[in-house]
Order: sequence, then structure tokens, then C-alpha cells
Amino acid sequence: MPHHQPHDSAETHVTGASVFIEDMPVNNQLLYGKVVYSKHAHALIWGIDVSKGLTVQGVHCILTAKDIPGENQMGPVIHDEPCLAEREVTFIGQAIALIAAETEAAALEAEKLITIGYEPLPAILDLAEAIALDNILAPVRTIERGDAEGALRTAPHLLRGELVTGAQEHWYLETQTALAIPGEGREMMMHASSQNPAETQAIVAEILGIQKNEVEVEVKRIGGAFGGKETQGNHVAAWAALLANAAGRPVKIHLFRDDDQIMTGKRHRFHSKYEIGFDSRGLIQAYKVELNADGGSSTDLSRAILERAMLHADNAYYLPNVSITGKAWKTNLPSNTAFRGFGGPQGMAVIENAIDHIARFLKKDAADVRFLNFYRLDEHNLTPYGEKVENNHLFRIFDKLTDSSSYQLRRQEINRFNHENEFVKKGLALTPVKFGISFTTSFLNQAGALVNIYTDGTVLVNHGGTEMGQGLHAKILRIASASLGISPGKVRVNATNTSKVPNTSPTAASSGSDLNGMAVKNAIDLIKERLGILAVAELSARYPGPGFSPGNLVFRNNCIFDKEHPLYKIPFDQLCSLAHVNQVSLSATGFYKTPGVFFDRETGQGSPFFYYAYGMAVSEVIIDTLTGAHRLLRSDILHDVGDSLNEGIDKGQVEGGFIQGVGWCTTEEIKWDKLGNLLTHSPDTYKIPTINDIPRDFRVGFLQDVPNQGTIRRSKAVGEPPFMLGLSVWLAIKDAISAMDDHETEPEFSLPATGEVILMAAEKLKHSRA
Amino acid sequence: MQETIRFVFDDRIVEVGFSDSSIFKPTSTVLTFLRSLPSFKGVKEGCAEGDCGACTVVLAEIGSQGKLVYRTIDSCLVFLPMIHGKQLITVEHLAFYKERHRILHPVQEMLIKTNGSQCGYCTPGVVMSLFGLFKTHQNPSRETIEDFLTGNLCRCTGYQAILEAAQKACSGNGTDHFSQYEPGVIGMLKEITGNTDTFECTKGTQHYLKPFTLTEALRLRKAFPASVIINGSTDVALRQTKKKELLTGIIDLSGVEEMCHYAEDQDAFVLGAGLSLEKVRLFAKERLPALHNILKVFGSLQIRNMATLGGNIGSASPIGDTLPLLIAYKAKIRVCSHGAERTIGIGDFITGYRKIALGDDELITEIIIPKTGPETLVSSYKVSKRRDMDISTVSAAFRIELHKGTISEIILAYGGMAPAPVRAIKTENFLNGKSWSRSTIEDAMSVLDKEFTPISDARAEAGYRNTVAKNLLMKFYLDSN
Repeated sequence: MPHHQPHDSAETHVTGASVFIEDMPVNNQLLYGKVVYSKHAHALIWGIDVSKGLTVQGVHCILTAKDIPGENQMGPVIHDEPCLAEREVTFIGQAIALIAAETEAAALEAEKLITIGYEPLPAILDLAEAIALDNILAPVRTIERGDAEGALRTAPHLLRGELVTGAQEHWYLETQTALAIPGEGREMMMHASSQNPAETQAIVAEILGIQKNEVEVEVKRIGGAFGGKETQGNHVAAWAALLANAAGRPVKIHLFRDDDQIMTGKRHRFHSKYEIGFDSRGLIQAYKVELNADGGSSTDLSRAILERAMLHADNAYYLPNVSITGKAWKTNLPSNTAFRGFGGPQGMAVIENAIDHIARFLKKDAADVRFLNFYRLDEHNLTPYGEKVENNHLFRIFDKLTDSSSYQLRRQEINRFNHENEFVKKGLALTPVKFGISFTTSFLNQAGALVNIYTDGTVLVNHGGTEMGQGLHAKILRIASASLGISPGKVRVNATNTSKVPNTSPTAASSGSDLNGMAVKNAIDLIKERLGILAVAELSARYPGPGFSPGNLVFRNNCIFDKEHPLYKIPFDQLCSLAHVNQVSLSATGFYKTPGVFFDRETGQGSPFFYYAYGMAVSEVIIDTLTGAHRLLRSDILHDVGDSLNEGIDKGQVEGGFIQGVGWCTTEEIKWDKLGNLLTHSPDTYKIPTINDIPRDFRVGFLQDVPNQGTIRRSKAVGEPPFMLGLSVWLAIKDAISAMDDHETEPEFSLPATGEVILMAAEKLKHSRA
Repeated sequence: MQETIRFVFDDRIVEVGFSDSSIFKPTSTVLTFLRSLPSFKGVKEGCAEGDCGACTVVLAEIGSQGKLVYRTIDSCLVFLPMIHGKQLITVEHLAFYKERHRILHPVQEMLIKTNGSQCGYCTPGVVMSLFGLFKTHQNPSRETIEDFLTGNLCRCTGYQAILEAAQKACSGNGTDHFSQYEPGVIGMLKEITGNTDTFECTKGTQHYLKPFTLTEALRLRKAFPASVIINGSTDVALRQTKKKELLTGIIDLSGVEEMCHYAEDQDAFVLGAGLSLEKVRLFAKERLPALHNILKVFGSLQIRNMATLGGNIGSASPIGDTLPLLIAYKAKIRVCSHGAERTIGIGDFITGYRKIALGDDELITEIIIPKTGPETLVSSYKVSKRRDMDISTVSAAFRIELHKGTISEIILAYGGMAPAPVRAIKTENFLNGKSWSRSTIEDAMSVLDKEFTPISDARAEAGYRNTVAKNLLMKFYLDSN
């Protein structure tokens, strides 16, 4: 089978024919939906008057909280997030009223005529203030092993530090979008740009006060999501459904870019504190870390995100004595939410920075200190939460990558360069990633599929995963065509639809192909079993001689045959039409659940991950210490994807994830003013990487011959892990700054390393030296 | 007078009117026009401000050689009358059919092969930028490829695959099915552009004028002094697309060829105010390195293809990237009114925050940049959060003339440090007459440190701006040696 099958939508993408919700033809009844949101970070609402807005020609309805027929709630896990604010607003961008109008212009005019009376209240806008006021959002969690306090006291060396890591805007190209089409009676058909159609269905049903079986959610494709549409895609869907229900006409909401940035949550910013004890070689004896996450105004997924941050506080390192504390804090900002890595990057950044700190303190190369602390193969392989690190590829990757990237040689060249240049400095860093694959909320590790085969031998696959660019459907297509032994052209993957496959988990946690691929395979296996019985009967009837056995049947090259007698075969399409005539079902559902994963939140112990994905990157940067500007010169990445399901698509995930991580680590800075207004609300001020920001020399490879046992076609998940390799760029920048005083001083550093952070750190070193 | 606009689209001349029954207003954008058609939904709005390039399309028009010239633009910022007399090409036009088989364009083919598309939302724009590259460059350098794609944000791929597609697709000489139809297109374009009567349209409170000669432009300027002047509209369009403001009076100069000349004599370079910044960049490449340097990192190609030098000066933004440099060049601005003209120094022309000394019957017509001698050095710097397609946090342009190692003249012009581009007069005075040495510069840096009180904003804190401003002086010193 080809491992390079392009994305199944590649041709429609490049010809502009791919249909996103915004492009769907809808009859001329379609109304434009607009959200009116809070201008205050925290305030009481003492009155809303929409009457003047209703007089605008073309306005069909204006809704507020009192018009919600069902429950005014859209919190996905904890019900602490109203769909429309009623008496109190808790962040700027919170929805208060909804307008359905015939044109955008009419909706805008109506919005101007709506009056909302606010009584401003004190707002908490930064993490430090939330901590000082003890404004906690979720129960404090801990994961501990050994005696961290005691070991910190007895360790030969002890370092302390703090690290601030910034928020990140998803900046999916397609802003949040939903189209609601009312049907008969209470029925509601939703086209949603949602990573979680089942939850969209549940929330639409709840706010409309109807049953789930009256709501159908379809997701054809999503124009980028990255976690930003795991829960918050539900919001626009809920608002569109309310308007469509009230107006009795289809309503589409497609958020304007600035509104999307103002209204929706981001990657959680963290303020972390660590203490690390180690010996003179740099071997870690104890690590104590407190992770403080800014959850924003409501819970959303903050608990699970904080949990994953804690479960990745170790990254790739064995920590004999360890104490990890996680706290999520409530602030008057949009509720922060899932974003590729889901807390993992924030947890890892702290220990990667701490190890960098150790190396500078001991005057060693940080890569050597990392190597020394890697989880070992036969001992020192238990994580702080008690899961054994199996099939550990860290050493293989380290050896291959340091070799292929000429790490040692380049380190020497860089040292020479830095001695010869006063104002420009180069930096180099290697960082690993070990990322746990599975939802840490263990029951979510399940998936369903519905495979329909038609009498012409063509196949339509339905599964619970959503396609958002990651190539899930292309992978599923390959799994289906390979399992049935038929040409990929005979298989189509359908739009994700709650009426075809119910009660699904979000397409998240990098799990899309692991879970749905298995469910599809299981459905196909059922059909193959039925077809097998028929095939034996048919082969025996056609060719009485040899004798055929169901156990020997092979589906290959669009045919079915007995491997003992390969010359006697039935074409797949013939067999399908025969099945119909013989009253054999050509449709089956498949189900899969990940075996053996569990985690106890209270004790912080368990085996939450089915397996780990590994990777490593070496990055080299150059900085200008006069301006703080930097340039990424080269990145070498070696990543473990098991037996790749599709090398072209996996390479795209590694490159794209890495660059997104680089953005988080460098130019993507989010700022609010003192009232809680987002200052960086458009691409004019919020800077994601452009083509000029990628490494001048970018080398991505996969670790070969590492089949992953127990997963679909021995593959590994790839969506999130490469994101965290962006930390190599961040630490290379730190390395370059620290070269200013020959690596004597730990630079003042935070994430993202904007030009401002770099320059201020550089200035500090200049003055301390002078 | 013309009451409709015409352009070539789908191999024919399309006429768009703005009568009351039309769904379009004169400031409807090309993006709005395309997306109103059932078969042209490929083009996307990603940001409505020309930063993401999801709305990229290509315009073709007759160039100076009599052949078609192709350029990429952000259709979200371009009003319909601005494409009058041009061919509009979208992603839907790139593939063609041969005996019922669809043949993809080489840029499309290659983007599929390299996996250069993931979610697909930015892809139509990326394809059009690649097409623009394909039509204008053979075996482009990495720098050229990057320049063509800087204005296309992609959040999925990390760009590497797109870069590869560009390299592989653009190895030929740009011949494709468009080449074959060029003569026909040229014929149609000539038919449209043969009529140079002013386009005038009144709809509701909007009044849109598009003259085709300078004389007519000056007449209209005098007759409608309150109308906003646009050429590329990359700044003014934001008032509509972002602030949802209805622009009422508009004079669109994009059709005035006379403002798009450039010339060079013994003493100076003369640049027409209507020249696109991309044309200025190409002109400056061998002649005015500091100008080329700043234009290289000015917006994206799509923006530079529309934005003009006159517009950058006319908007007088405190961070207008060319302004500090024009101060350092001691540039002069030529302004004309109906029957009169005058020349004014750039320093006197910019009078404050977004304020210029332009009479309400005048238009900026030319920018004159005096040539400098071998003992004069002019350099430009731009510091921004992201290197490309970003607004300056601080920009600077410096000019120095040395006489036997002593500073005989110095200009230190900054953007982003005050409400308008300004000179660091105190520091200049301090430096004048001193020797050009590192210790002088270090002393000057502490003078400069106290000269400005910049603001803190979304881009950076004031302290950072001050530090950068003085460090740039050191950078200039290092670069001068």
C-alpha cells in the first residue's frame, strides 16, 4: 500500500472546491447571526434593552438569557459557563445577546441600538493577583514520589527558579463557525466547525431543552482547530441553534477575526516555581515544582489540562524524589481551553529550563545533562505517577540525532563564533519529548465506526473523528482500503455525523487515528467474516476441486481468494453484489476501547497512557544583542511515529506542530490592557510564524523500524508531540544570550522569547558584566 | 463619464454596475464580489486586514512591454472599481479541461505532491501566490519564494512543504494555459482601457470617483475636497473592513498612469507618488539600498503590489516605514493643485500625528530623493516583533557625512518613538563635529536615552523602545565600518 497517499481533500483544497461551512449553499432564508458581547471584564448587568434594535429593518430576533428555552449552560465538564450572561459578566467578550438579521449591516445597526446597563466590579486580570486573592478554580492536585523535600536538603546542589510561560491564540484560519437549520417540529440540523460533534449535539439539545435524538451535528471539515474547537466550537453552535430556533430559519454565525480572538480562550499561561537538587555530574536527585495555570473565567477543560501538565512535568527524565503540585486559578479573562499539547508544553518547559539551569551552573553541555537524566531501559524507568516507561527510544534517538546534526562539532563552531563576535551570538539546544498517548480521562478512550459497503463494491466509512487538516480521513481511508484489499479510490470517508456514529469522544489528545482507526478496522473485520463465509461457498461452487477454507481467505488486489489456491478468486465488487442477493448484510458498526489505561486523580497514581511517543530536536539560532532580533538557522528533528500510517502526512504534522511550538516560544505574545481588553486581537499585533520564520535548514526524519505493538497497523499518534520540540528553539535563544558572558550567568528569561525578552536579558548581562 | 466598471473575468469582459438594484456598492471589495458568486467560494476571508492572504487573487494587466503582467493582491482590501481594466484570476481558473479531463496547474499539482495543504483554508490563497510566482520567475531563489509567500499565513503545515512545492513548480518558464489566451485578454483589456472618461458613481451616501488623468484628478480634488484619496487603499480600506465605517466620498487615483513614473538625473531620483511600493523596491534595489532594505520588510508582496509611496507619506503614520528614511534622504515632496505646484521638504510636510501640510485642493505627485556623495552614508533599520509583515516597534534611518573622520552632518530619524516620525535633534547636536568613534557613539547613546518618551502598547514597552533606539545607533556605527 502507498504510504504517501495525499490528503483525501488535497485536490479540492488546491482547486478551491473544498466546502467549508462558510461556503455551503443555503436557501435564501439564511439569516446572519451576530453575538453581542461584554465590554467589561467583570460587572453586574442591571438591564438590557433590545427594543430599539428590533426596529431595524431586516432584524428577525434578538435573544438574551431569558429567551433560552432550555438550560442556560455550556460548560463541557463543570456547569459553570452560561451560554448567555444574565446578571453578571466575567470577561470581555462574554456573550450577552444574539441577533439574527437578513444582512450583516442590519445586525450591526441593531447592535448599536442595544443598551446594556453595567455596574463594573473589580476584575482579576493576572495570575499573580488571582493567587494572592486565593481565587482558585479547581481542587489542588499533587503527584508525589519519594521524599522531595528531604532529598532537596541533602542534594549536593540546589537551584531554584520561576518561569512564566505565555498564552497562545489558536489562530485557526477558519474562525469559529456554525450553521443551524431548523427541521420539523423541534429538530435541529447543525453544521459545526467542532472537534467534538457529540458534545455539540448535547449542548445544543440542553440549551434548546430538547432530546439528543432531535439534534443532528455534521462536521464535513474544519479549517484548522488545534484544540480551539474542542469545547469552544460548541459555543457558536449553541448560539446559532438558539437563533435558528427562535427565527424558524437557518442561521449562520461566522465570527469576525477580531471577535474570535477577543471572545475565545487560549492556551493557559502558567507561572511555575521549581526547586531542583542534583549531584556534581548533574544527575537529578529531587524535583519540586508548582504549576499555576490561568484557567480564565470558567472551568472548561482546565482540570484535564493541568493534569496533563503535571503528568508531563518529568518530560523524558527520571526523577527519584519528586513533588508536583498543580493549581488552576480563576481570572476575568475568556476561559482558557485545549491547545495542541494540552498542558504538556507548559509542564515540560519548566523542567527543560531547570536542566538548562543545572548545565550552566555545572558548566556542562545541557545535552549531556539531559542524556544523563533520561529514563533508563531496565531501571529508573518509573514515572512519578507510577507508569513504567516501556519501549523507550530516547537513547536511540539521541545517538542518531546528535550524530546526524553534528551536534558536538557545531557546538565548537558556535563557541568559536561567539568568541569572535561581540554583538551577534549563536545558540544551540537539544530538547527531547516523551508524550503520553491516551485521554487522561480514561473513559474517553473509545471510538465507534459505521462501515457501509454498497453492491458495486464501493465503501463508505463513517467514524467519530473529525477532519481538521491533520489527515485523519486519509489515514482512515488507507486503513479501510488495506483491510479490504481494495483500491483507495473505492473508499470514501464520510463527513462526521452524530446520526451515523453516536456518543463519540472529541478528536483530540492525538488519538484520532489510534481510536477511530481501530473502530473502523473492527467494523470491517465483521463484514469480512460475513463475506468470507459467502466467498468460500461461492468459490467452492465455482471451483469444486481444491476445497477452500475461511481461515485461509485473503482480501487483496480487489479480490478474495484462498491463499493456498490463489488462482481461484472472486472480484470484490462481484462478491458484494452476491452478498446482497444472498441476504448478507454489507454494513457493520465497529467499536474500540483502549485496553488497560486508568488514572486515579486523588492519589496521582495510575497508568494513564497506552504508550509514549518520543522525539528530539536540535536547533540553532543567531541573535542580535542590540535589537533582540533572532533568526532560526537550522533545526534537525528525529521523531518516533511507529510504523507510519502515511509518511507524507506525518511529516506535515511534525513540521507544522514544531513551527506552531516555535511560534509559542518566540513571537506569539498576548497582551491585555489594565481593563482586560485584549490588545493583540488581530494578526496586525498577534504574530504567528510566517514562511520566513521557519529554519533556514529544516531536516525532519522518522525513527525507522520501531513498530508500535497493539495499535492500528503498529503506528503512533503524531498530532501533538512535535509541538513541544519548539522548546529547542527557545533554549537555543537562551544559550545565545548566555554566550554574552561566556555562560557564566543564568539569563533572565521567559516564554515567549520575544525580541523584547531577548534584548532585556541581553542588556542585563551587559550591565552586570560592565 | 463611465457609470459601470469593466474587467476581464472568466475569459470575458464583465460589467458591474452600482445602481440601486445592484447588490454591490462602489466600495464592495473584490472578495465580496467573488464570494457572492456560487462558483467562486475558493477565496476566503481570514482576517479582513491584508495580513493572512487567504483572500489572495491575481490581477493581470498590460505592462510597459505590451505583455500581461501578473501580480498578487489581497482581495479583501481592494474595492471593485480598482480592478477596472484588469484581468481577475482566481483559484478556480487555474485548472483547465482537456477532453473532459481536468488538468491541474503545475502549482496545484506540486502542492498536492508535497503535502503542502492540510486544513485547506489558506490553500486557495497560497495557490494564487504560487501562481503569481510561477508567472514571473523561473527557478526562483529561496528569498524570492519567501517574498511571494510571506503574506500567506498557514497555521497547519509549517510552510516547508509549500516551499518545496514552489521550488519544484517554478522550474519552467511560466508557460501555461494562460499564456495561450494572453493575446485575447490583451485585446479585451485594451477595449476597456481605451475609454478614459472618469468613472463616477453615487449610491446612497457614497460618492466614488475614479479619474484616469492627472488633470482630471486635480479637478476632482478641488471640486470634492472632503473626499478621501485612495490609490492602493491598503490603509483606508481597513476603515470599512475592520471598523465597519461607510466611506462616503472617495477619489481613487489607481487609474492615473501619470503618477506612476520614475526618473533619474544627475542630482536626484524622482518617484511618482502612484508607484506601488513593490515597483519602488525594484527601482531602489541597485540605486537606493537603504530604501530597498526597508521595503523588503514592508508588509507583504500583496500589500506592496497595491500600496503606494504617496499613500505611505499621505497617511503620515507615526510608524510609516518609509518616513524616517525619507527624512534621512532629505527627500522633497512635490504637490500639485489645479494649475499650480510646489515642492516641500519631507520634514516640513509631516506636521504631526497623521497630519500633513497638504492643501485641500492638492495631491502628492512626486517624491524627489537627492543623490548623496560617496562620503555620505544612509542606512535604515526596522525592529519588529516578527521580522516580516509586521508593523515596526521602532524604525530608524540615519545619515552621516564625515569629513576627515569628523561628523560634518548627521540626521537621526526615528519612527515609533513619538506621535510622528521625528529627528533626535539633541543627539544630532551632540554628535555634530565629533569624531566618528565607538566612544562617541557610546556617549551619544546616553544622550539619546533621554531624548524620547515613547509609549507602551501591544507591540512593546517604552523601555524596550528606548533601548532599541539607542542600540540602533551602535548598529549604525558598526555597519559604517
